[in-house]
Amino acid sequence: MAPILKLDRLCKNFAGLAALKDVSFEIEPGGITGLIGPNGAGKTTLLSVVAGSIPASSGAILFQGRDITHLRAHGAVHAGIARTHQVPKPFRTLSVLENVEVGLRFGSRQRARNEETESLKILEWVGIAHLYLMRASALSAGDLKRLELARVLAARPSLLLCDEVCSGLTEFETSAILHLLADIRRAGTTILYVEHNLRAIMAVCDRVIVMNYGQKLTEGTPEAVQNDPAVIEAYIGKPSVA
Amino acid sequence: MTETAKQKEAFFSGAARLAIPSLLLGVLAVFPLAGPGPNAIRLLFVSLMWVSCSVGWNILGGFAGQISFGFAVFYGLGSYAAAISLNAGIPRPLALLIAATVAAFASVLVGIPTLRLRGPYFAIATIGVSEAVRVVMTNLQFTGGASGYRITERGAFNQHLHYYVALILAAIAVGLSVLVRRSKFGLALLSIREDEDAAADLGVNPFLCKLEAHALGAALTGAAGGVYAGYSDFIHPPGVFGFDISVAILLMPTIGGIGTIWGPVIGAVVYGLIHEELIASFPEFHLLLYGLLLILIILFEPGGVEGLFEKLIRFARTRSGSGSHSEA
Repeated sequence: MAPILKLDRLCKNFAGLAALKDVSFEIEPGGITGLIGPNGAGKTTLLSVVAGSIPASSGAILFQGRDITHLRAHGAVHAGIARTHQVPKPFRTLSVLENVEVGLRFGSRQRARNEETESLKILEWVGIAHLYLMRASALSAGDLKRLELARVLAARPSLLLCDEVCSGLTEFETSAILHLLADIRRAGTTILYVEHNLRAIMAVCDRVIVMNYGQKLTEGTPEAVQNDPAVIEAYIGKPSVA
Repeated sequence: MTETAKQKEAFFSGAARLAIPSLLLGVLAVFPLAGPGPNAIRLLFVSLMWVSCSVGWNILGGFAGQISFGFAVFYGLGSYAAAISLNAGIPRPLALLIAATVAAFASVLVGIPTLRLRGPYFAIATIGVSEAVRVVMTNLQFTGGASGYRITERGAFNQHLHYYVALILAAIAVGLSVLVRRSKFGLALLSIREDEDAAADLGVNPFLCKLEAHALGAALTGAAGGVYAGYSDFIHPPGVFGFDISVAILLMPTIGGIGTIWGPVIGAVVYGLIHEELIASFPEFHLLLYGLLLILIILFEPGGVEGLFEKLIRFARTRSGSGSHSEA
């Protein structure tokens, strides 16, 4: 099967700091791929570069066979890639419904038949339809995460980049969000999922890619990655020799 | 437009939303026929001209959240473009169209570099551009330089005609503002105002939308400058390109309620009516008073007159609601 996303020696430098160093991997369509690594490993930077939020320094990004390395954020959305943010970025003075309508009306070249009905359906899917008239600034942390997902789903992406959608949530809310991600995958959207919560990653991902110091450390099934000595070392360090 | 947006305009809800502006337009249309003095017509003419500028600025500053201190550039260029057109014998409506087009074209030239900047950097850049254009116009011999440019009125001066031109332009400006606010384009501008990066992450092209809003606002301001040039017999750089013009255009929506439909209209009328009185009473301090007013509004009522009005209505409704509840 042809990969939906292919990164070829992707690099991102911030002045003297190399945040991404020759990162290469492929993602098969239709699955959930986890992207993990210690703090500062470059996970969010990688999502930002793929989503066009920040430009790559070198390397190539191929999406559905098309080179999208130089697309800006709005161009990447039109190509079929949408992202969520670790800290939700709602349009605070707009209603929940208007927030979703932005994704629906601008995210895809296809025009929805009835934008309001379509937006309400998406809100129902993520479980906050009853809040549709409320200002986004009035939502709780859990509902803001759901709104963040609803907005990007409204853009009808083929590849969804999720950045720590479970951070700061209770166990119950985390479980609900993970069910939602599984639902989104069943609906045909491929997901690249960055998460610190390893239990969440192991619960929903088919494959896991591990990063450390801006480089790909390893990749494989969740079980294989979990038991990889290099991954354990990256997370908890080398055992000291007495 | 969604329910929340509709609710936001609650005090102009339902039939009142159409009836009140229509009634207002009707009253303004028959006003000169009721035989007021020329000074009253002049004051209202000036207010209507400011309405177009204020509403134009609000499309960029209020809806898209890009605070520009440089709209005098478009007002001035519109004035000069209309003045030159009128002197060349071009009919007034076409002269205003030329004024709007010149201003919109200039806004694109100014916007391409400046709209890539954000927040205070954009605001500072617009001050720089505005001053640069004023200096260029002061030294441009073709338009009379610092001595200014004289407009030859063809035929007898007709104050009513000027008044109606200003009224029609103000009505068009408000109509356009309503259309923008309710459109897909308007939603994009609001999302940019809230978070430009998040808007881009949902498919909005922030730069293009800001450039379009800038051009639309500039066109309305340029046309208003053209209306002013048609009314005056003389224009000069400090009078139409002055920094006080830029501040005034920014101050009006702030007084009335930034980012709303009616706030910029209310602010322009308030400004138009009190401006001359303030200059006459406090010739040295009037700009200081505007600064003070701006600080007070931002500190105590950022929603301006419209925000205050909405609060009062909400308060009255809550009172009447709790009253009827206790009666029950």
